[in-house]
Amino acid sequence: MRARFWGVRGSIAVPGPTTNRYGGNTSCVEIDVEGMDPIIIDAGTGIRRLGKELAGGPFGSGNGTAHLLISHTHWDHIQGLPFFAPLYTRGNRLHVYARRRDTHLRAVFASQTESPYFPVPLDELRADVTFHELGDSQSFAIGPAQVRCTRLNHPWIALAFRIEHGGRSIVYASDTAPFRDILFEHEFIGQPPAPGAPLDPAEAAALSVMRQALVDLCRGADLLIYDTQFTPAEYRQKPHWGHSTPDDAIAIAREAEVGTLALYHHAPQRTDDEQDAILAACRAAVVGTRLRLVAAYEGLEVDLGSEVGR
Amino acid sequence: MKIRFWGVRGAIPAPGPETNRYGGNTSCVSVTGGRDQLVILDMGTGAMRLGAELMTGPLGRGQGSAAVLLSHAHWDHIQGFPFFPPVFVPGNQLAIHGNAHSSDMLEGILEGQMNPHFSPICTLKNLGAAIGFTAVVAGEEYDVAGLRVTAQPNPHGHTSALAYRLEEDGRALVYASDAGYPPAGPSREVLELYRGADLLIHDATYTPADRATRLERGNSSYACAASAAVAAGARHLVLFHYDQDYADDAVDDLVGACRAELDRLGGRDIRLTAAAEGLELEV
Repeated sequence: MRARFWGVRGSIAVPGPTTNRYGGNTSCVEIDVEGMDPIIIDAGTGIRRLGKELAGGPFGSGNGTAHLLISHTHWDHIQGLPFFAPLYTRGNRLHVYARRRDTHLRAVFASQTESPYFPVPLDELRADVTFHELGDSQSFAIGPAQVRCTRLNHPWIALAFRIEHGGRSIVYASDTAPFRDILFEHEFIGQPPAPGAPLDPAEAAALSVMRQALVDLCRGADLLIYDTQFTPAEYRQKPHWGHSTPDDAIAIAREAEVGTLALYHHAPQRTDDEQDAILAACRAAVVGTRLRLVAAYEGLEVDLGSEVGR
Repeated sequence: MKIRFWGVRGAIPAPGPETNRYGGNTSCVSVTGGRDQLVILDMGTGAMRLGAELMTGPLGRGQGSAAVLLSHAHWDHIQGFPFFPPVFVPGNQLAIHGNAHSSDMLEGILEGQMNPHFSPICTLKNLGAAIGFTAVVAGEEYDVAGLRVTAQPNPHGHTSALAYRLEEDGRALVYASDAGYPPAGPSREVLELYRGADLLIHDATYTPADRATRLERGNSSYACAASAAVAAGARHLVLFHYDQDYADDAVDDLVGACRAELDRLGGRDIRLTAAAEGLELEV
């Protein structure tokens, strides 16, 4: 089992020399299991290059099938989809899995590319696109791989996914705020809570349950990919934006005895040098533990091998 | 008028070392008039850095105003709007002009961008700035921040994109992104809009060979741009809106080929520049 990173950025794509090393494309990770159709998590701008690579194989002749897990439908997680080349070749199949809120997924994705926003509507795509609507907590199979999801603490709610095959497992948890200051549901939260304001006990209880479910999902995972958009200072300014810090990710990873934690969904303004410094500080903080740390960058491949093959 | 380029790419932002020189952000150009008035042409991802820079001035204190002219509402021309920090500052005033049948419909297009399925902002009402919407009627004259503005639609695939002419003190700037001309070239009205422009910023998405395989997308090649500039008697042509797959070296080649094309068409006196992020020009 192998994870390949095609886009590691949050919010908006950020081209330019200060993001050349980590990359400026928004969220997209490919999970490869030998002999299986590719599993893709999120369709930020990074999916464009993945699509070009896939078009060099069976997808180029309309013989490909891919599975796309969408954490949530905020722009930075879907904006690359209309630029995914395999969609424009008849015969290809794309299975899209995402949480359903109040509208059928097909309608949500159709409105992404309807006039006047994009020239090619969903119904004119040549590939066969099937939508699979998920609830907050679900298990399903993609070929021989097992997938489980649980909800995260983010505006309009995002899903974390665990993908397991051959004794190896990867968890993708983006986007999420930590589980202590604000409970995010579907309402707009325009201001941070007043400093020191007590959290409603029912909301605190819901957050505690949500956090435990995420720790359970992450339990013993070989690789955990986690939203670490904020520095602690940024989080104090914008707790109502729904993102975490590396400290939050490390706490979850250690509690769940994860093998490797990948810092992910980097802030758009973060330069490569700043990201290097964040990674170095995080590594210093986990010295003496068994947790390995990487900061995701475009082109990073994490090969987990397989228990069967060892 | 001072012109600065913040995003020069079409379709989708294209990050990576291969786009460092011309830039990978989608379409956004700022125009500053003689009295420091600000007009923004399209709000692709380039609008984020423009907005960040503007936050050091009156727009950072809720005392600023800006006008926006949108050519059309394809994602690459509006996707930077919610990342333009001045829209979050109460007190700021934004006057958005664009291509729609009515001003309410123009507002509805940007409201759709904020739909809670897609954006944590949920609705335009959650932005702090006061925002006005004006649907632009072809051929009408508008006073936009003290500049005289007129517009004409160009065909753009299944839709149309407005080309804008901005005039101040007898100088004229034309912004013509996403122009998919029929074989006969620009319409008479559009050529009149371009006529004698001191600066013509023109769609140059493709080489003629690439355009020929993607005619349905409704974008120009550098050759379309050269021929429009010659036909309209423009003084200075600026190539703009490069394909997302064109690396810097490929854009260099577009410029060289466009120069040759201009010369061949009798446009030896027309200056030629390739738009790049950070480039500043004055009219």
